[in-house]
Amino acid sequence: MTTEPQLETVDMMLNMGPQHPATHGVFRMVLKVDGERVIDVIPHIGYLHRGTERLAEVETYGQVITLFDRVDYIANLNNELAFVRAGEQIMEVEAPERAQYIRVILAELNRVASHLLFIGTYAIDLGAMTPVMYGFRERERIQNLFEHVTGARMMHNYMRIGGVKSDVPDDFVPWVRQLIGEVRKGVEECDKLLSTNEVFLGRTRGVGVIDGPTAVSCGLSGPSLRGSGVPYDVRKDDPYEIYPYLNYKVPVGENGDCWDRYYLRMLECYESLSMVEQCLDQIPEGPIMAAGRRIARPPAGEVFVHSENPRGDLGVYLVSDGTDKPYRVKIRPPSFCNLVGLATMTRGSYIADAVAILGSLDIVLGEVDR
Amino acid sequence: MNVTLSDAITLGVQLFALFNVAALGAVSLVWLERRFLGRLQGRPGPNRVGPFGLLQPIADAIKLMSKEDVAPGSSQRLLFYASPILVFVPAFVVWLTFPLARDVVVRNMEMGLFFFVAISVLSIVGLVLAGWSSNSKYAILGGFRAAAQLVSYEIPIITMILIVGMLSDSLDFVKVVDAQATVPFIAVVPLAFVIFLVAGLAEVGRTPFDIYFAESEVVGGPFVEYSGAHWAIFFLAEYVNTFVVGILGALLFLGGWRWPFGADLPQVASVALLMGKAYFIVLVIFWIRGTYPRMRIDQLMAMAWKWLIPLSFVLFLAAAFQLKFEWPWWVLTILSLVILVVPVIVQSRKQRNPALALAARYAANAVVVQAKPRPAPASEDVAGATPAAEGTSP
Amino acid sequence: MISGLKGMLVTLRWLGKKNITANYPKEHLPVQERFMGFPGLLWDETAEEPFCTGCMVCVRECPTQCMTAIMHDNPKAAEGTSHRRKIIETFEINLNRCILCGICVDVCNFDAIAMSHEHELASFARTGARADLGLLLDLGRKFQEEVSWAPKGADRNVASVVLAKRAAAEAAKAAAAAAAPKVEETPVATEAPEEKPAAEKIEEGDS
Repeated sequence: MTTEPQLETVDMMLNMGPQHPATHGVFRMVLKVDGERVIDVIPHIGYLHRGTERLAEVETYGQVITLFDRVDYIANLNNELAFVRAGEQIMEVEAPERAQYIRVILAELNRVASHLLFIGTYAIDLGAMTPVMYGFRERERIQNLFEHVTGARMMHNYMRIGGVKSDVPDDFVPWVRQLIGEVRKGVEECDKLLSTNEVFLGRTRGVGVIDGPTAVSCGLSGPSLRGSGVPYDVRKDDPYEIYPYLNYKVPVGENGDCWDRYYLRMLECYESLSMVEQCLDQIPEGPIMAAGRRIARPPAGEVFVHSENPRGDLGVYLVSDGTDKPYRVKIRPPSFCNLVGLATMTRGSYIADAVAILGSLDIVLGEVDR
Repeated sequence: MNVTLSDAITLGVQLFALFNVAALGAVSLVWLERRFLGRLQGRPGPNRVGPFGLLQPIADAIKLMSKEDVAPGSSQRLLFYASPILVFVPAFVVWLTFPLARDVVVRNMEMGLFFFVAISVLSIVGLVLAGWSSNSKYAILGGFRAAAQLVSYEIPIITMILIVGMLSDSLDFVKVVDAQATVPFIAVVPLAFVIFLVAGLAEVGRTPFDIYFAESEVVGGPFVEYSGAHWAIFFLAEYVNTFVVGILGALLFLGGWRWPFGADLPQVASVALLMGKAYFIVLVIFWIRGTYPRMRIDQLMAMAWKWLIPLSFVLFLAAAFQLKFEWPWWVLTILSLVILVVPVIVQSRKQRNPALALAARYAANAVVVQAKPRPAPASEDVAGATPAAEGTSP
Repeated sequence: MISGLKGMLVTLRWLGKKNITANYPKEHLPVQERFMGFPGLLWDETAEEPFCTGCMVCVRECPTQCMTAIMHDNPKAAEGTSHRRKIIETFEINLNRCILCGICVDVCNFDAIAMSHEHELASFARTGARADLGLLLDLGRKFQEEVSWAPKGADRNVASVVLAKRAAAEAAKAAAAAAAPKVEETPVATEAPEEKPAAEKIEEGDS
């Protein structure tokens, strides 16, 4: 408990310190409370700052991809995709179609894995200890596939500027088809266990409400924004890769409370699985790497690329000075910008709701602090 | 009254045996909970310490005993160290009246049920003192919140015990079990068992009612300042209380050691049957823990005062009417099921159906994105196999 | 109530399922074929020496700068049993720093390094994470046996293949020179074949 004597002495400061019993990483939240109600939230970040953007200035483009794996360490392939798209745009190369399909398949599977982790950790924040095991069981299947294709369960270093590192193994398509069926069943199980459970509804319905215009002005994106009724999705509004060739739905909420944000992620899991199925039907044969020089030495210039990460809108602003190392890589992390909405959502709610609201934003500290 | 030496020795042996039964029961619950929760989650639970992890509670105990004994500097030391004992002792004293078989009891009182109720509420005092003597703002808040929760849920438990007492025309445990020779009370008043179970969960402080100490994520409960061995005593008291809820449920509602066998079994079999029923109730408690999230403290109190207490009073009246007008026992079953239907319908209307409708609406109203047709491939091929030299990305 | 009871049925159904966890450390889950564990240095059996010449490309490209390497003259080149004029003398990887990204394997031109399947190398000593040449060669050897490894550029890197090619080229040159007039051909013939493979290597390393 911290008190700052020079401020008002009526309200109490309650510190949810950097170490949490729940997950979310190292994040410090100071709640100003009046009795049982929260008056203000002061977030303190920076505990996981690793100098990613500074390192990107001294590492070559191939090495920067490994940095991006670790920015949002749960949606690795989505981050890699954003950066390699920025590299491709500044080098004016295009990845071949097969490579784009492989990338989208892996990125969407990574989205499902990320949402499964969210469902599990959100449930255990609120006290339900089984959905996390079920969710991680399904995640394990997806990570097994990643290991089969990329060589690593998490930090893949698989995408390259111009394509992907290596072609997928021969049994990729049947493996992924079976995987989709199994993961869909697992997601349905978590859905049945949690979504309409009366205690869960009591903890999340009507909690942490934020309306559409406020959400937009706070800079929210991803499911947190769509929960408030704003149908903005980068895959739909600023399409990239082969997303235009897919049929999918973007679920949008109405109330802007924690349950909406949770349930939209559940629906997105189903949508991502159907997108992967369509990609498997459409994937062509062909090269997986654009022809041309292998060492990236782009012309001087700058480019901004954004993509739909599981957490929201990830932006990469890449400035090149003509050498084989970037001049500046600025990352616009969705979790960092989503945290701006935390104070608005938490004001006026109970202390016990602060945990539920923070969980529903689905932040990853690697992204917030870089 | 003359207390001879042999009386004292007998009593001492009985008390020692009772202590062992209760403590071993609680310790076995520690093991059983972790294994059962593990199986619900698809994992084995502790299986490294001893065969099937049976020595895991001993490993836990050793770990807790070996921790540093710290107390806050500004705490009231005497009360601080006495509070765990104040919580722990009532959990064991109530065992004096529990008959594990007809003759396996330390002291069978005619007011056995009343004795249980009277002693068990003493642990609330210990909890409040634990919070207060820690001299930490959030321990005090947690302690008072715990007290409020426990006191509120005492009323439904007491009312259910009264109903059982009315139906068996006695407060004596042995007579209660005898009254269930043909039909256990769970069949006569199923709603009473449900209310007893829910209120019992809240009394013990188990999910979904464990926010007063699991809220240690945020506020801290009354146990926040306790370390090592002192915390182990609280922990053990919680498991003894859980076991008590199980045994009480078995005695009061599941027919004790008699049902479904009309006559008395040999003693060992009676004890085994009672323990089996108690463990079954305990497994249901663990099962609930594995499924439900935690309720917030205000929702928990609302549930007690707006639902459990009125329902228990209505049920009490129904039982009273049934006894007055001497209706057959199944009338009470029907009445209690009818009363049970009311909260189910109300909850469905107010919470479940809107949520289901909302879920369906979100799935239906999702913004649909249509696929654009893919550009014709460079070379002719069967569907799916198009060698594209450069992909057409927007 | 109804949803909660349905949820309880979901958890109850899991009682009958098998465990989803492996009983580590008694049971080790197998890794996939492409799994990237710690790097290992590969062994050229035809010359009884590592493939690695100590060219330091992987050392330069490593994002975490976890490797150090020193090369020296290869005594086997003078003997004629190997085409590598330089060979690795010491090689150290700080396993604490290695992020298992596989960039070193991507950039190596000599098929000298591969990501082995070894990922359980925790040690109790503080210096236990320093993998020296012996350990790295062991890791590589185990990996080679495990996956029946074959080099990607066998005609450039495997000693027996390269020496055989050189011998054939020399024989062809000798045969061509024998047919042509014999004017001071000896100094030219011996130096040219040695410089060409080195030049080829540098060119391939560049592109």
